[in-house]
Amino acid sequence: MLPYIVKRLLVAVPTLLAVLTVVFFFVRIAPGDPAFIILGDQASPQALAAVRHELGLDQPMAVQYVDFMSTVLKGDLGTSLVTHRSVWGEIANVLPYTIELTLSALVIGVVIGLPLGVAAARHRNEALDYAARLFSLAGLSFPAFVSAIMLLLAFAIELHWFPVISEGRPGDPWSRVNALVLPAVNLGLIMVAYVMRVTRSSMLGVLGEDYIRTARSKGVPARVVIWRHALGNAMIPVVTVVGLYLGVLIGNSVLTEIVFNRPGLGKLIVNSLNQRDYTMLEGLMVIYAFFIVIANLLTDLTYGLVDPRVSQR
Amino acid sequence: MSEAGELPLAVDGLTTAFRVEGRWYDAIRDVSFSVARNETLALVGESGCGKSITALSIMGLVPKANGRITAGRVLLDGRDLVPLDETEMEKIRGNAISMIFQEPMTSLNPVLPIGFQVAEALRYHTALTGEAARARALALLEHVKVPSAARRFDDYPHQFSGGMRQRVMIAIALACSPQIILADEPTTALDVTIQAQVLALLAELKSETGMAMIFITHNLGVVASIADRVAVMYAGDLIEIAPVEELFEHPMHPYTEALLSSIPRVDRDAGDLKPIAGQVPPITAMPSGCRYADRCPLRVPRCATMPPLVGLAVDPNHQVRCWVRAADESVSA
Repeated sequence: MLPYIVKRLLVAVPTLLAVLTVVFFFVRIAPGDPAFIILGDQASPQALAAVRHELGLDQPMAVQYVDFMSTVLKGDLGTSLVTHRSVWGEIANVLPYTIELTLSALVIGVVIGLPLGVAAARHRNEALDYAARLFSLAGLSFPAFVSAIMLLLAFAIELHWFPVISEGRPGDPWSRVNALVLPAVNLGLIMVAYVMRVTRSSMLGVLGEDYIRTARSKGVPARVVIWRHALGNAMIPVVTVVGLYLGVLIGNSVLTEIVFNRPGLGKLIVNSLNQRDYTMLEGLMVIYAFFIVIANLLTDLTYGLVDPRVSQR
Repeated sequence: MSEAGELPLAVDGLTTAFRVEGRWYDAIRDVSFSVARNETLALVGESGCGKSITALSIMGLVPKANGRITAGRVLLDGRDLVPLDETEMEKIRGNAISMIFQEPMTSLNPVLPIGFQVAEALRYHTALTGEAARARALALLEHVKVPSAARRFDDYPHQFSGGMRQRVMIAIALACSPQIILADEPTTALDVTIQAQVLALLAELKSETGMAMIFITHNLGVVASIADRVAVMYAGDLIEIAPVEELFEHPMHPYTEALLSSIPRVDRDAGDLKPIAGQVPPITAMPSGCRYADRCPLRVPRCATMPPLVGLAVDPNHQVRCWVRAADESVSA
């Protein structure tokens, strides 16, 4: 297992470097001149040139690239063009909100979706299976912002169970948890739908395998056949989907954060887009890319845990 | 033949139906046989003749979604298993009756260590747990001659060859010293040399433990080397059952005759091979009488009703299901 972990870590490094390179060129080919944005369209050519020089934009592309990579790899994401504060500082302020939202959604998705998928497969073509499939179809069909508004209307505005603005008061952990419930449920329901569907179809495939018949022929109780023998194998495609979907989840969290008026990377990214805050956007893209690489790394490592054939290859 | 009380397993009038496009058809019908302690009964026939369905019916493993036992009894030490529910069957499977399957490559769980899979059989039927179960499982693996079993105990199935996996399957089946072992083509998927090793192992284990074995195969060469008695199935019917030499020397049913003369042999010319004319009818269009009648050179009008399985006057241990042949040999019903 250890050589496998080391190998996956080593693969993650070039992936990250490649992603940073893409981010660098992406920002450079985007329309608009940062100096123009900072100084406004009344600025004199001398002033613009001075700002470009300050930002290093007058340097050849290769020099800019080396500059960018070396500062980013040192953990320095630069300063915001709008607020003139450290990009990393701004991100670090709101990062916990996004992480707690994404992780709660992930937990909700797995804790509800997995048993639901197993139950649907066991009771294939019975009422429970149809109900679960209908629910998951609904979960996949509703855009995150629509379900968010419906949740707000029902549980915040009508029932007053949860706050409308999901930020929580500083220094009051309970209000933070309370504020997290609706956004986490909103994001989690989509995850439940995905996990349930994949678990169901994967379980249906596995239940027809020869080794399930072997387990039953040994007299292993039905419950153990399902949870140990079948789910152990059915988990492999589920891990893939959860891993892939982590990326989508981070994307969907943007919409959820905006509708629930919650601090987080999503709100930050929309504000920076509106204000053409290039350095902030660059920093955010680096952070998102970093998370996707981490999610993939975790997925690979989970494979190693779930499937002995992977870690010994 | 042994006294009825000594028979660990007796199958009586077993009929299992499958649903095809909404209608139920008998895949096997009125199958009756018994096995004695320390006896190997070979169940032979072409693929699709109902051998495996017979075994799965005995184990209570017929897929519930589209299959069910519609008649007959499976008597284990005189107790009928057919009406038992799933929980009661779980106590019998792997304990009193075990099964070895055809495909060693896919019959072991790929994500569980093989030692665990052997120990698991012990966990639900014996008081052994933890270290004791592990020690017993290791002893079983050594007993079926898995090399360096102690070192390989925690290895996974993909690290073993087909022959070794089949040995692991045998260890699982033997774990709780069953009275009966059902071996469903256990050597068909293996290389010839490995096949011989596994057959020798099974024969050795059987004589050690005195268990009864039902050996399912389509390979008549294997039958000759391992079986005490042979039951021949055709299209879901058990058509002839006899001690092994008797069956090879005096086959009574026209299908058995044809089957024996369709085996390629080194000492005969390939031109002497006689393939059986015609085909097995599909399950949706089975005749209600003798299912071999359409291909049978001896057919008489009476074959439109199903003949009973009767013992011959000269040898009651030789039973045949054929109106013509049973009458020829002045049968005692």
